[in-house]
Amino acid sequence: MALKGLDIFKLSPKKNCKECGSPTCMAFSMKVAQGAVSIDKCPYFSEEAKASLNEATAPPMKTIKVGTGNNEYSLGGETVLFRHEKTFVSRTRYAVTVCSCMDDAAIDAKLAEIQSVDYERIGERMFTEMIYVNYAEAAGKDKYLDLVKKAAAVDRVLILGCEDPEVAAEALALVKDKKPVLNGANASNYEAMSKVATEAGVTLGVSGADIDELYDTLAALEKLGNKNLIFDCGVNSVKEAYKIAVEFRKAAIKDGNRTCGYPSIVRLDRLSQGDKHLQAALLSLFTMKYGSIIVLDQMTYAEANPVYGLRQNLFTDPQKPMKVEPGIYPLNGADENSVCLTTVDFALTYFLVSGELERSGVPCNLIINDAGGLSVLTSWAAGKFSAGTIAKFFAEQDIEGKVKSRKLVIPGKVAVLKGELEAKLPGWEIIIAPREAVQLVKFMKEL
Amino acid sequence: MPFTAKSGKFNAKINTVEVGTGEKAIKLGGENVFPFYTFDDAIENAPKVGIEITDGGMEAEPECVQKLYEGCTTVVDMAKKAVTFDGVDFLSIRLEGGDPNGKNKSTEELIQIVKDVADAVDVPLVVCGCKNVEKDAELLDKAAAALEGKNAMILAAKEENYKTIGASAGLAYKQIVGAESAVDINLAKQLNVLLTQLGVDSKTIVMNAGTAAVGYGFDYVISTLDRVKAAALSQGDATLQMPIITPVASETWTVKESTATEEDMPAWGNLEERGIDMEVETAAAVLAAGSDAVILKHPESVRAIKTMISELI
Amino acid sequence: MAKFVTIGERLSTTAPAVNKAFTERDPEPILKRAKQQLDAGAVYLDVNIGPAEADGEDLMKWAVQLLQSNFDNVPLALDTSNKKAIEAGISVYNRSKGKPIVNSADASGRIENIDLAAANDAIVIALCNGEGIAKDNDERMGYCQMLLERGMELGMEPTDMWFDPLFLVVKGMQDKQMEILEFIKMLSDMGLNSTGGLSNNSNGMPKHIRPIMDSALVAMAMMQGLTSAIVNPNDLRLMETIKSCDVFKSNTLYADSYLEI
Repeated sequence: MALKGLDIFKLSPKKNCKECGSPTCMAFSMKVAQGAVSIDKCPYFSEEAKASLNEATAPPMKTIKVGTGNNEYSLGGETVLFRHEKTFVSRTRYAVTVCSCMDDAAIDAKLAEIQSVDYERIGERMFTEMIYVNYAEAAGKDKYLDLVKKAAAVDRVLILGCEDPEVAAEALALVKDKKPVLNGANASNYEAMSKVATEAGVTLGVSGADIDELYDTLAALEKLGNKNLIFDCGVNSVKEAYKIAVEFRKAAIKDGNRTCGYPSIVRLDRLSQGDKHLQAALLSLFTMKYGSIIVLDQMTYAEANPVYGLRQNLFTDPQKPMKVEPGIYPLNGADENSVCLTTVDFALTYFLVSGELERSGVPCNLIINDAGGLSVLTSWAAGKFSAGTIAKFFAEQDIEGKVKSRKLVIPGKVAVLKGELEAKLPGWEIIIAPREAVQLVKFMKEL
Repeated sequence: MPFTAKSGKFNAKINTVEVGTGEKAIKLGGENVFPFYTFDDAIENAPKVGIEITDGGMEAEPECVQKLYEGCTTVVDMAKKAVTFDGVDFLSIRLEGGDPNGKNKSTEELIQIVKDVADAVDVPLVVCGCKNVEKDAELLDKAAAALEGKNAMILAAKEENYKTIGASAGLAYKQIVGAESAVDINLAKQLNVLLTQLGVDSKTIVMNAGTAAVGYGFDYVISTLDRVKAAALSQGDATLQMPIITPVASETWTVKESTATEEDMPAWGNLEERGIDMEVETAAAVLAAGSDAVILKHPESVRAIKTMISELI
Repeated sequence: MAKFVTIGERLSTTAPAVNKAFTERDPEPILKRAKQQLDAGAVYLDVNIGPAEADGEDLMKWAVQLLQSNFDNVPLALDTSNKKAIEAGISVYNRSKGKPIVNSADASGRIENIDLAAANDAIVIALCNGEGIAKDNDERMGYCQMLLERGMELGMEPTDMWFDPLFLVVKGMQDKQMEILEFIKMLSDMGLNSTGGLSNNSNGMPKHIRPIMDSALVAMAMMQGLTSAIVNPNDLRLMETIKSCDVFKSNTLYADSYLEI
């Protein structure tokens, strides 16, 4: 629990020497309790007192790293509950389940499906980063170990879902160097599982019959010295899983309860009970509220397109605009003779404009300028989207060498650029578009 | 030692606004906790799900939606069918044909449709305008008059036309007034203040604080809704304690993920699935950020979102 | 952050009309002044009945019940040196709109008012002075520590002790003004709440000057972290300044009509 100023004050030297910069030991203690200064500022606290306090003044939520190399991901480490307070730091990661209870054909199909969604969206690779490899006791150990090997051949982080410490140890022997997650500790096996996970150097997933048992097991594991943990929100019900995900995050960040300060796993493969559209809804819900890893039955483009867009929006830094790569984007099967339109590289502008242009069905070349990721009017006002910068961009990109059309449509909001552009881009006919993107369909059809 | 958490319930709460009349009337809002935080305090009124049709009838719908309305020829047929789908709490009719830059249908023609629909169904009604502020002032004023006694929601009054629509829907015909702002929290608050200063009872205002499809600047939507709820509940700001309604369908069914054909995007797979998931995932996200009601188009989306809500409440 | 808490100061025995109304138990002048203050945006009302040695208990009960029953359980600061009167007031106090405030404790003769607040789950205004005005911030901080320790030992939340730095009059103590503002920052850095009789700074100044000085001081003090003040809510300029500062501090969300709400 968060320390009270008074608790710290009791351990303080009570000298009021001001060497720490605070007027009194009480003032200093109150500041330490709030996390405003470090206890180390005081030269007179005993080492013993410091050790007990440092523990309590550590960051509220741990950052857990899983995977290696290009597939290394940080989970947790959040300091706020809402994105407007401060940028969220660790993106939600997604996993799809394979199980040793499935037949080989189904397993192969699933592993192929997992790899089929892989694309780029505003400079970020979007794909299923993890595979949840579930152990079905009835199918036997050997089949599971084969499955682990097969899944390991796909370039993803593995989560081994296995509550049997001996089987888990053998599975880890095969793949531990890639830093998988071992999800399988519970109230009855946690000591053995902790030993297996610690020896292999991997993160241990913990579950409980209910929120209290989960909390107790996490506390017991911490007592054993294992703090490389993730908690599983359970498979009892959607309501219980949501409660665990939210309550633990709140307790960690608002109340400084560090036993709750671990990343979470949400088992939508179990909680959705085969209802794929419910799974899609929950995928979105737990991305918003507070899933670190979400395990799914399937991640096809239908689920992926929206959720990766959502994740990108949710985790974006409010201070930094999202940009698309400047260049020529041919739409609706455009060729070098198709009309050209130009606008800025602010991602939202690009999406709205390209979406409407695609709806119009009219072949056209959308030329995205380098405008610092700002919207049309903002970049214009900042001098980053002017006749001069557009002409310069056309020269740098050799637009005139790449397209033959000499019709250029400019955003209605910067109609004032028309005259200047005609002067700077001789030979081009400058056409003014409507002010709003929604009016583009009609405009393009009549062009 | 069991897990103990500090309660996150607030002293302030969101207004409860009733829409519709009789047995099928619905209550929006009333909560004193963040979205679905039933562990902090009970949530009396679960978020509500509406289904949307338009004055354009069958031909305005995507193919996958048309198929579910098979046999319907008129808008009224569709309205009757729409309210039979699982999980539908209310019906929304969007008068998009009124747009002067589009079909520019006359007010008389559209109001006749509204009347016919109202006569055909007994669920609460939401009437959405055509997004053109001048035309909406006229259209929604007449819609409010035509629906007198139905306690319908008129969506929406904006900064440019709140006086006309507020006076008509809120004062003259005692409907529920939607107050719409586009992801601008200061304007959302200001519009509520202006409507109340006009004399509209704050307990009859519902906000549409703006929306987008996920991936399309949805970051602004999340923060706007998060901050509205935070101001309403933790700062006790009475000018933001109106429940929130979010029209989702009109945003998600126009983006390319929901419109690009399978021929154009073979890797993306089934178009209907893409449309449903775009709608479902956007709706779940706005509910997680604090919306008290969503308006959807595909009956399967309605079912999935309704299932999620009942699992959580 | 929470909104700045204004405590309306106009129900005070120092005003002859109020004194007369208290003595005669005449509700009308009391209710009139209370309404004026609440309409102007006061959050708490201070009820200053003076020493009230003879009938303090009865008077405070009467005042609390009168105000709370007429104004939807308006939260009150109970202001008297008569401890029994404060206890009597709390015994009939309705907390639905906020805890009662004990006004006030200090680090010498009135330190026991901390105990009274702790025993009654009340907020207490804790004056950072002992005998006479503290000579510097070291002395103020010493008093603060003494009061804070006492309250916390008794189980109070530190945020229920609202520390009063004691605003000083400019005419006579102009050179001490920045010191007071620095002290407010120290309290704020410790995560503590603060309040005080802000208008003391402009005592003795011409009437038209006072709102200007008070507004400037409240803006500077809010910048330093002042969380509350005992003020005349019917000073429009002051209240507008407080509302504006609340916007800058994001204690309230801006809307064009923010001054009207």
